[in-house]
Amino acid sequence: MYIFQCEDSIDGIFTGVYDAWASHYGHKHIQLSSDNSGNLMLFSEYIPVIPDSDKSRKVSRTMITRLGTDFYETICKCAMADSHCRKLTMDKANAIYQTIVMALALPEGAKVLEYLSEPCISCIFELCRQTANEGHHLLEFLRFYELKSGILFAQIHAKNDVLPILATHFTDRLPLENFIIYDASHQMAAVHTSSKDYLIVDASTLNLDLTKEYSSEEEGFRKLWCTFFDSIAIEARKNPKLQSQNIPKRFWDDTVELK
Amino acid sequence: MTAADKTPALSASAYKNIPSVHFSPSLMEKLAILTDAAKYDVACTSSGVDRRGDGTGIGNTMSCGICHTFAADGRCVSLLKILFTNECIFNCSYCQNNCNSDIPRATFTPEEICTLTIEFYRRNYIEGLFLSSGIIISPNYTMDLIYQTLYRLRTVYRFQGYIHVKAIPGADPLLIEKTGYLADRMSINLELPTSDSLRKLAPCKSRNTILKPMRMIQNGITDNKQELTVYRKAPKFVPAGQSTQMIIGATPENDFQIMSVAEGLYRNFDLKRVFYSAFVNVNHNSGLPVLPGGPPLLREHRLYQADWLLRYYHFTVNELLSEDRPNFNIYLDPKCDWALRHLEYFPVEVQTADYKTLLRVPGIGAKSASRIVKARRGSRLDFPDLKKMGVVLKRALYFLTCSGRMMYPTKLDEDYICRNLLSDRTQIPQDLRESNYKQLSLFDDMSMIS
Repeated sequence: MYIFQCEDSIDGIFTGVYDAWASHYGHKHIQLSSDNSGNLMLFSEYIPVIPDSDKSRKVSRTMITRLGTDFYETICKCAMADSHCRKLTMDKANAIYQTIVMALALPEGAKVLEYLSEPCISCIFELCRQTANEGHHLLEFLRFYELKSGILFAQIHAKNDVLPILATHFTDRLPLENFIIYDASHQMAAVHTSSKDYLIVDASTLNLDLTKEYSSEEEGFRKLWCTFFDSIAIEARKNPKLQSQNIPKRFWDDTVELK
Repeated sequence: MTAADKTPALSASAYKNIPSVHFSPSLMEKLAILTDAAKYDVACTSSGVDRRGDGTGIGNTMSCGICHTFAADGRCVSLLKILFTNECIFNCSYCQNNCNSDIPRATFTPEEICTLTIEFYRRNYIEGLFLSSGIIISPNYTMDLIYQTLYRLRTVYRFQGYIHVKAIPGADPLLIEKTGYLADRMSINLELPTSDSLRKLAPCKSRNTILKPMRMIQNGITDNKQELTVYRKAPKFVPAGQSTQMIIGATPENDFQIMSVAEGLYRNFDLKRVFYSAFVNVNHNSGLPVLPGGPPLLREHRLYQADWLLRYYHFTVNELLSEDRPNFNIYLDPKCDWALRHLEYFPVEVQTADYKTLLRVPGIGAKSASRIVKARRGSRLDFPDLKKMGVVLKRALYFLTCSGRMMYPTKLDEDYICRNLLSDRTQIPQDLRESNYKQLSLFDDMSMIS
């Protein structure tokens, strides 16, 4: 067995897919792994994969032209997912590789995503759902606050790499605003300038003190929002269990009204 | 026809002369009063329309709808749900804003509503605006104020987010139509399921003043659709459709009557949603029932479940309820209840059953049914596969076979299945599980209602 060990990122995994395919060892003898915990399997040869944006782009292009954009987006969401999911029966990178191999072998390749009883497809389904769900949750629960400079700033703690999903949504929604979405758990940020497209940048050197200087109106609108939030609840129907079921506790710290 | 033809220039005079009847509180106090006054309206969805921003203003909408937070009662907060004013010339006895009740009153200005909406929206607190109002001076006057606010928000602020607006019963059809071109969803509350109850509790409203504008909006939507097929750029009239709500438990109608009314509304008025609102006796009015167990939440829950069965599962009210069994089973959800009474259709074979048959199996929803139909083309499905697709096996296992086998050996017998379903405590509604006292009071509610 040959195991291609790739970095846990879209580029890393797609480069792994490229290298594995190009190696001609035969699909049966190949596995991909994005797990870098150091657990090794016996009787296997480990081949390190160095992320390469050219190779990754070629894999993306093949997927888009031969399997369609929906297929490509599903695979991307899956690659963006946090691979420490308990329900998972298969390595993330390996599931992606097996799925692409299976899809390219069939005439209507994109349909393989519907065959949920295949182990690799059910793994893709689970991971893609995980990313999409968290992405949707954060579209809901993310809160911007206005800094002194007029820039809108939001901080999130995401498990999956959902910044592209959020940035695309808010670029369409707030085209004239300057905003930054900072993902504290991945140390990445999406930056948007008025009337332009967004950029995703490394934010490990971001000066967080600067993001604590609010504009003069900010406090007022936060108070108004909390007033609204408290007044909208019906006392006779109070149900804290339902509330925390609908907005999981881990999102509370980054909101205004539940902090 | 363009938007400009339909919307005359903003007349400033309309909202300058709002009489300040009581006092003029600060924005914070106003917001507290007018939110509190709006909270019994249940509709807070932001779904039904996909619209991308045009890059010149602020906002877009997503057809799935987005809930931005959940209040202490667990209900979603999607829109800034406020009244324009809680002054009211009507005397509906179930409503806390009726002209006889002694409560603090307040009125927004259109500018205040616009500022709140835009500032909340850009901070991602809300998905848009839900604007309703008490009747100030006259229905026409009120409707015009609402129109002025929306016009300002859409044109001056170029707001392209979601707007849900109430049509005021009795307002001029022309005003309602103009407002409809600015809103995404419009609703007129039916309030009570029968005209008798309406006459008793809301003497200023009548079936006629409610149904007439509802029909008008329906016709507006149909005409607009035809217009849109001819001119793609024609302005959209209420693109997310219209909805309504009924108060549950204030009057003696049974579930069968309520669901029949809802079914009629879906069929004859093309409504997108009917909402059910468990009655809360806010005014302590002696003519209204006192509900010792709190608002009839379980009943409301069952009505919503049945409502979903009507809209997405191809059920009809006559299959679920009848004159002899006019109320829903409180222990079992309407679909399980139906399945137990129709065991002749079961068990269903996963490999071959069509989509509509799968939909009728308890534990299989619209999503998992369509996943099953697609996945079985690839290979044979077994119970663990179904579980991964989102089928709730603890309910479905009595009604399904995979390749001719059941999951466990079970009997296809009503009592047996019912006993097994209820032996799992989590399948019993929480209200009934928690205490016997509550259980008794719920039965009391039911007998009082029917």
